[in-house]
Amino acid sequence: MRVSAMQQASPQPRLRVRYKKDGRLAFLGHLEVINTHNRSIRRSGVPFAVGNGFARRMRLQFSQALPVGASSECEYFDLMLTEKIEASRALEMLVAATPAALAPQDAAYVDRSLPALEAWLTRALWRVEFLGRDVDAAALDQVLAELRGEGDLEYLRGDKPKHIDLSSALVGWTLDEVDGRQVMSLETRSSNAGALRPQVLLDAAFARMGASEAEAGAPALRVARVGQWHEADDGHLVNAL
Amino acid sequence: MRLPREDRYDLIEPLLPLVEKPSRYLDHEWGAETDQSGPFHVCLMYPDVYEVGLPNMGLAILYRTLNAQPGMSCERGYLPWVDMADLIRERDVPLLSLECSAPVASFDVVGFTLAHEMACTNILESLDLAGIALLAADRDEDDPIVIAGGPSVWNCEPVAELFDAVLLGDGEEGIVDMCACVRDGRAAGLSREELLRSLARIPGVYVPSLYEVVVDETSTRWGYARPLPDTPAPEVVLKRSYADLSQSDPLPQTIVPYMGVVQDRLAIEVLRGCARGCRFCQAGMSYRPVRERPFDQVVDACREGLAITGHDEVSLTSLSTTDHSQCAQILHQLNADARERGVRVSIPSQRLDSFGVEMAAEVGGAKKGGLTFAPEAGSQRLRDVINKNVTEENIDLAARNAFENGWRRMKLYFMMGLPTETDDDIVQINQVADRVLEIGRDVVGKGPKSGVSVSISVAVFVPKAHTPFQWAGQLPLEEVRRRQQLLLHSCPDRAIRISYHDAEVSLVEAALSKMGRAGLRLVMAAWRRGCRFDAWTDQFSFERWVEAAREVGLDLEDIAAESFDLDARLPWEHTSPAVSKGFLKREWRRAAQGMTTADCTMETCAGCGVCPTLGVENLIAGERHAAS
Repeated sequence: MRVSAMQQASPQPRLRVRYKKDGRLAFLGHLEVINTHNRSIRRSGVPFAVGNGFARRMRLQFSQALPVGASSECEYFDLMLTEKIEASRALEMLVAATPAALAPQDAAYVDRSLPALEAWLTRALWRVEFLGRDVDAAALDQVLAELRGEGDLEYLRGDKPKHIDLSSALVGWTLDEVDGRQVMSLETRSSNAGALRPQVLLDAAFARMGASEAEAGAPALRVARVGQWHEADDGHLVNAL
Repeated sequence: MRLPREDRYDLIEPLLPLVEKPSRYLDHEWGAETDQSGPFHVCLMYPDVYEVGLPNMGLAILYRTLNAQPGMSCERGYLPWVDMADLIRERDVPLLSLECSAPVASFDVVGFTLAHEMACTNILESLDLAGIALLAADRDEDDPIVIAGGPSVWNCEPVAELFDAVLLGDGEEGIVDMCACVRDGRAAGLSREELLRSLARIPGVYVPSLYEVVVDETSTRWGYARPLPDTPAPEVVLKRSYADLSQSDPLPQTIVPYMGVVQDRLAIEVLRGCARGCRFCQAGMSYRPVRERPFDQVVDACREGLAITGHDEVSLTSLSTTDHSQCAQILHQLNADARERGVRVSIPSQRLDSFGVEMAAEVGGAKKGGLTFAPEAGSQRLRDVINKNVTEENIDLAARNAFENGWRRMKLYFMMGLPTETDDDIVQINQVADRVLEIGRDVVGKGPKSGVSVSISVAVFVPKAHTPFQWAGQLPLEEVRRRQQLLLHSCPDRAIRISYHDAEVSLVEAALSKMGRAGLRLVMAAWRRGCRFDAWTDQFSFERWVEAAREVGLDLEDIAAESFDLDARLPWEHTSPAVSKGFLKREWRRAAQGMTTADCTMETCAGCGVCPTLGVENLIAGERHAAS
């Protein structure tokens, strides 16, 4: 998706940055991540563009919110600049001004006409580790298949009931043994109707699993988003950068 | 018992998914001091949650100052919110510092900010969570030395026995002296008692355990403190005063938080002290003299601070920023710098005159939100009593000027229960608001589309130590409630919105402000009944405070409403901001006569006594503007 030379000449180039979120900063909320990057960008000295509204906000857009506590290797933001500088130079400046646990990993200019990141990146791959105990892999597999077959999943966010259509949002999953630990890979699809969070899905699955699982209680999860893509109309996945 | 110094983040991490705002406990913020090699370790505790404590300017100054000392490292600590506090108590996890996640009880010195009276139960909660003995007298030889300082030291008696030592006044020099004294004393093998005696020799340091409380016919029921025989403790501990603000680091606040904090912006202290002489104001009396930071230093610090922190707003903080003699030039220069970068400049409050509105226009730019003024009292008579030095004409002109400059929402601050207040003064609060509303309608036009609105916020007067009103009692609770109803029912226009402070919170604050050392029994009883975060509306429980008072044989209303004899020895007279008692008495009498006293930075010396006593003076960078 890197931009052509002709597009690069247009005003206010759009710099796309991939960054990580790990370590203790995995516990930052989405707004906190936004504010931190906003300040890091100001510190970095890159020539960021400011909107024309009363509030004069930086022209900055982020990919979909990551749940508090989840880490990631593939978060993105798009930053409009007032002038084009080498993407590698911009990356260097951003890295120097950003807390290490949120450090930018890659940067490139992208087409200004692309939709906003949040709407454009519709597919995600998650890695989920179960902490404290093993789970019954076969039972979990069966329950997830049941849930997807039923389609609508109702869950609570705070006190509010929410719905998500698993027949679309839950693309696939695998459960493997890695270095003696159970690790789940989960593929999800987001839409205007919402995005599926691994914790929501697995809470519903463990609640439905047999008596032995219910007695043991749902295991704590370590969640990481390991990939985000745009899903094209023909179903193939387009890299963000 | 002193705990070993070790990183125990492993104890906190599993709890983070279980609490409301994990970012309170993360540390590793941009600008935090990473080199914590010591070997002398200090932990500065703010007895409230992270987002309230982080913006505190005093703590930021001391943090930078101590970390700049060779061989000294300083970390921060905040009181965990109730969810985390309950979890760590339940799981026996000690309170940890932020930078190194080291047990607070492992530090050489633990310093508390005394921010306000309503934080007193939070100090007990902090000490308890840390596993440090609550009373200084119960601490072991090698326990941390627990010290305190801050704006609320001027009657610290109700919590004095929690501290080994209390620093009065400006801390940037005193805290280094104190820490060096502890370090050297420990190295020399001094006993804890000897160490405290050494601390008492440092100017500005009050060591409560070296004083006894005497109740006699010359005192109030709370008695007065006098030094124990054969101790180096002075009869009166005078505050420390940092003589020249321009010699201090103008940019102490460089830690950039991840989470939203209460003042989420770069703050530059542009001046310290205020000589306007409002007779209810403890800060106005205790931070004298007035010391301005010069134009160049302020502007450079703002530029550098914005660059190194990445904030998009800078606030010029002080007790009265628009009194700064170079305020207009500073704002003008900063605005010229800032607009292109989407940076805003703000000031905490405006003077009630046309100059104040001009300054507000400078900071507001094109965006006109609300404008806040503080006439404090409704009638001219009462404004003269409190020495507010604001006339009706000032208020009208400021309001007209503000509406003409594009503001539509006006907020006015008042107080209720001021000495000599009558029902007529209450009614006149509404009349001021109504006049401002009418001016707005006159300038902008009538009807809901004009957008003109006036709101008034009315606090309850709390008499504070070392002010001319220190002898006054607080209005009884029932009378406060009656006057609040009078205020509501005498409001002439529904377009005026009225809000007032919780009278019960103010009552507890007044009791804590007036009590002597015996007040600790009340504070401990309240904390044992579950009181903490008393400054948080959803956490404050008046019932618990009343029950606690009953348990220790006290009556909160009786304490708060008690007025003191003008000649009585007061419980706080041994700790002094250097404003003389003679001056305070004179001001009290002038108040009764409705006589005002001028600001000594604009007119002649008012004789408060601070300058000759401390050997300091007002340092004004340019020419000050009197009210116009």
